[in-house]
Amino acid sequence: MNPFWSMSTNAGRKRSDGEEQVGQGEQKSSPARPSFGKKQLPSIPKNAVPITKAASPAPSTQSANGTHASYGPFYLEYSLLAEFTLVIKQKLPGIYVQPSYRSALMWFGVIFIRHGLYQDGVFKFTVYIPDNYPDGDCPRVVFDTPVFHPLVDPVSGAGVRRAFTKWRRNHNHIWQVLMYARTVFYKINTMDPLNPEAAVLYDKDIQLFKSKVVDSVKLCNSHLFDQPKIDDPYAISFSPWNPAVHEEAKEKMFAHKRRPEDYNKGLPVSGLSWVKPGSTQPFSKEDNPLQT
Amino acid sequence: MTSMVANGTRGDQSLVLKGVDPETCMIVFKNHWAQVVKILEKHDPLRSIVGGLGGGHGLGGGGGLGSFRFGPVPGDEASAVQNYVEHMLFLLMEEECGQNGAMGPILEFVVMENVLERLFIWSLRREFTDDMKLEQLKMYEMLIGQARQPLLHHKPVLKPLMMLLSSCSGSPSGSSSSAVETELVLLLNQLCCVLAKDPSVLELFFHTSEDQGAANFLIFSLLIPFIHREGSVGQQARDALLLIMALSAENHVVAKHIAENTYFCPVLATGLSGLYSSLPTKLDVPSEEWHCLHREDWQQLPALVQFLNSLEFCNAVIQVAHPSTRDQLVGYIHNGFLVPVLAPALHKLTLEEVMTTTAYLDLFIRSISEPALLHTFLSFILLHRHDNVHILDTLVSRINTPFQLGTVSLALFRTLIGLFCEDVMLQLVFKYLIPCNHMMLSQRRVLRERDCYSVSAAKFLALTPSCCSPEVIPPPLRKLDSILWSKGTDGSHIGTMESKEVLSEEDDCGNSCVIGSEIYLDVSYLHYLYDAQNSISHCMRACRVWSAPYDGENPPPEEYQRNTLEEADLTATPGLLELEWDDSYDACPTQLHPEEDQETRPIPDEPPKHIQELRRTAIMIVKGSYIEESEFQNDVMVYNLVAQKDAHDSAAKQEMLDESVTDQKTTNSESSISNGLSSPLDEMDSKKRGSQSNHKSLEGEDLVAQYEELIRTLGAQHSPAKTDSELKSPTDLMDEEEDEIDFNSFSPETPEAEKLPSPFGTKPRSGSRGHAVPFTGPFLSVLLSRLENMPSNSLHVNLLLTGILAQLAAYPQPLLRSFLLNTNMVFQPSVRSLYQVLASVKNQIEQCSANNKDFPELLTAAQHCLLARESSLRGQTDRIKTKPNIQPKTVVPLNKTEVYAAVLFTEFLKELAAFAQEHSILSHLPTEQ
Repeated sequence: MNPFWSMSTNAGRKRSDGEEQVGQGEQKSSPARPSFGKKQLPSIPKNAVPITKAASPAPSTQSANGTHASYGPFYLEYSLLAEFTLVIKQKLPGIYVQPSYRSALMWFGVIFIRHGLYQDGVFKFTVYIPDNYPDGDCPRVVFDTPVFHPLVDPVSGAGVRRAFTKWRRNHNHIWQVLMYARTVFYKINTMDPLNPEAAVLYDKDIQLFKSKVVDSVKLCNSHLFDQPKIDDPYAISFSPWNPAVHEEAKEKMFAHKRRPEDYNKGLPVSGLSWVKPGSTQPFSKEDNPLQT
Repeated sequence: MTSMVANGTRGDQSLVLKGVDPETCMIVFKNHWAQVVKILEKHDPLRSIVGGLGGGHGLGGGGGLGSFRFGPVPGDEASAVQNYVEHMLFLLMEEECGQNGAMGPILEFVVMENVLERLFIWSLRREFTDDMKLEQLKMYEMLIGQARQPLLHHKPVLKPLMMLLSSCSGSPSGSSSSAVETELVLLLNQLCCVLAKDPSVLELFFHTSEDQGAANFLIFSLLIPFIHREGSVGQQARDALLLIMALSAENHVVAKHIAENTYFCPVLATGLSGLYSSLPTKLDVPSEEWHCLHREDWQQLPALVQFLNSLEFCNAVIQVAHPSTRDQLVGYIHNGFLVPVLAPALHKLTLEEVMTTTAYLDLFIRSISEPALLHTFLSFILLHRHDNVHILDTLVSRINTPFQLGTVSLALFRTLIGLFCEDVMLQLVFKYLIPCNHMMLSQRRVLRERDCYSVSAAKFLALTPSCCSPEVIPPPLRKLDSILWSKGTDGSHIGTMESKEVLSEEDDCGNSCVIGSEIYLDVSYLHYLYDAQNSISHCMRACRVWSAPYDGENPPPEEYQRNTLEEADLTATPGLLELEWDDSYDACPTQLHPEEDQETRPIPDEPPKHIQELRRTAIMIVKGSYIEESEFQNDVMVYNLVAQKDAHDSAAKQEMLDESVTDQKTTNSESSISNGLSSPLDEMDSKKRGSQSNHKSLEGEDLVAQYEELIRTLGAQHSPAKTDSELKSPTDLMDEEEDEIDFNSFSPETPEAEKLPSPFGTKPRSGSRGHAVPFTGPFLSVLLSRLENMPSNSLHVNLLLTGILAQLAAYPQPLLRSFLLNTNMVFQPSVRSLYQVLASVKNQIEQCSANNKDFPELLTAAQHCLLARESSLRGQTDRIKTKPNIQPKTVVPLNKTEVYAAVLFTEFLKELAAFAQEHSILSHLPTEQ
């Protein structure tokens, strides 16, 4: 199973494992509905405690963008989900990313560098997305281990931001940030460096730069099996190959790529169509049962 | 023999015979037979010519058999034979197979001596009464059911059986007693079970049947008269036939025989017509809310139960039968039931009859599942013309009829839409959307756009009437769910949503809505999101079999504009446009105060010409098809009622029409910006005129909010360029030209303006397209026009309407999705969007609320009533055992429609917003299959 899929469907509805067990019956499984049951009304509280905000006049409840503030978190959550599905769609080579358990605003990722100066580098990073997304600044990419690179801060590991001086909704997307983060390892750019030493070396002494990169890659890779820096159930962690654990997972990954819902929903649903492709006439398919 | 059959059970006899060696059994059998033969020969007039009495002598009926009798058989001899035979049969039944499947010695003897045939002839020689038949039938039933070795492979067993069956077929059904029929069907059923287990016997039956002459494949022919029989006999017969059907799917000869030489298909199909004719032509409608036949309804009607049994049998036959049988059957159903029976029934005399037929049709479609049968029903609805009008068009036009015909028709469409059938959706919806005439030209490229930031959802939710705002009326919490909008634990970032269940109901603090932060979250919205996700992914999976994505590119709009559409309309659907004469043009709600209207608004002398034309032809056509045959008087009355309603609305309508014409005349840029969005404002404006004196301030503020939103919307339309970046995956380029990616293209310095579809850029196309009015089709129009009347609709009508729209909103096809859910789309002036209609409803509700001081209390009470309704409905199904049903404190009378509508409207907005949000995720996931 592609981990991205499970992420994309779960990201909006996270629970701890324990809650999953308890809560699922209540919330996950759609309650038996009457035929008109679509309209869900909340139930009545026994003694409805007035909400503190109840007194506030109606106009003030309209937030700046003309909508109820109470739905703001839903919009943010879905904006981030949309970003995440965009990332999936791009299929960025060598980049894996998943939102954290605790917050949709923090994504864990890893880049595999397949050739060039940084060949064989495996760099873990975290993406921090501002909470006023998409109206805020560019999401920050911070490498777990500050790899030696002109555009990566040698202390904090922060990098990449340069390409998106101003973040514009509708134009900028998180996959672009990720792609940029990958590209800087293939095409070295020394403008406005966050690591001046690396920038200077690259321009002046490429051999020394290369050897420092090799050392840095080795260092990064030597920390590969470290515990994730941020304690989060969805943080990306590596462990040495263990056939007992990994063989089966690998087989599953290669066996079939199916969306998790297809596993769960039992019988395949199928609609009906007798429209011949390329036609817009109903019942235009030739293999119709004949009726005269 | 009778006593044996009646009393004997296999278990008893097994005990008796256990341990007895086969040779002894054989000796006993032979001895018995020798005794029987003595008696038989004594009464045999021809003595030695045993075999000569075969089939050629017309064993077809009881009547001709008297000639074989040779004086009466004394009673003691008859009973002696009976006793011997009784024992012999048990010995035969209990005999095991010989080695390597060879016959056991008794069976071999039976075959050699032709025992069974001679016994059959013996029974013919005596009075061949029903009792005799019954005896023989039971004998074979027992033999076949219980024998331990296969018997039917042997002609000396098979032949007398066929003779017996022949004798049963000869008598016209009705003359045989029901006991014989019951036994006959039981035996036939048993034979079919044997056939199903051992298809090789089928051939034998087939050829032995041939030996019998005309009655080819006797088992099958004998079963046909019982197809539509009620009760267990009919059920057994249908089960047996299904077994043969399944066999015939593998056996071409049998299939061919069934199709060519039997009346199976015509009997089955015309039987439906017969059963249909005994259905009640008018249903007793239990309540005003009633709109479709549920199980508990139809189970009360034996005739309907019987019809459904036969229909389900057709469904089952089509499922298992050979394609030739299947095709023949659906053909007969179409030409023998749907066209001659159901079509006229759908155009019956009275409203009640038509409504009843519509409810039947809905039930029938819900009862069948086989694609081929659905195909038949659907092509009947979509393609068949009655009085030159397509059934579909008639059904659509009835959505807007008063009384229950309208709601029953709605329920039928709910069923149709739920089939996820491309053909249905094509005719109902997509046909009109494919040319993209309903939208501004510039908007076509925006069709597939993803609403990344939930802009549409926000706009839907912003339509929540102020009186229903969650901050004004705290929505009670469902099972005390609460939502935590938590800040991240380590402080470096903001957290996200977590939902917690407060399990203890007594937990008073659970009532607090605000936990962890200042942000209030509507918990019920999570449920809507979850439901929307389910509906959409379900629908997406179902639509995988469709032929096209309906995304504004495929099918290509150009090919279906004007000419093609015109042609299609002329050839396939004449009068479709004309039939659409409902309220789709009355942009204004019908509840405006008519007196005020007449005072304040100058009524134009004439509506625009093309509308007049449209109206006239529509009424002509509709009336024409009914008045020409004067017996359809009552339907005319129905339509007159609608026409009156129309006339009543006409003042408002005419004004609106006038406006739209003005719109078209005004300069292109102005009209094209405002067209899509003007109506809510216009209406508010007109509303305001009506209620200015009382509620000026409130309305004014709302107007400002609306205005701001309008400005914002226009702003939002300037930036749909994201589609470009979404469409092309950069990774395609990356592999070859890693270094060539220009990241500057992502930076704000790049001028994007020229990529934008400008709402100013296109002219209204009305000039070039003559008087053709952009149109989203009668179905969508009538739905929206009924939705616009939400405040005055009854609760159940609104539930149906919003339910159907929610069904439609689940469809992933960009043409439909964008029409319903993209609030930023700019449509042609004559096209009303869902958003516009909702805005109109919002304003009506605001006005109701402003005019009624008790409105807030009524709203809360109505919420409680609806909750009680839901919990009682759900209590019926199961689930809540511990919870007593909620009893609302005050019951809001159902005629306070505007109050219920306000509650429902608020919930509907959430539902739509949830659909919009889930589409922004799901519809854009790449499909892996």
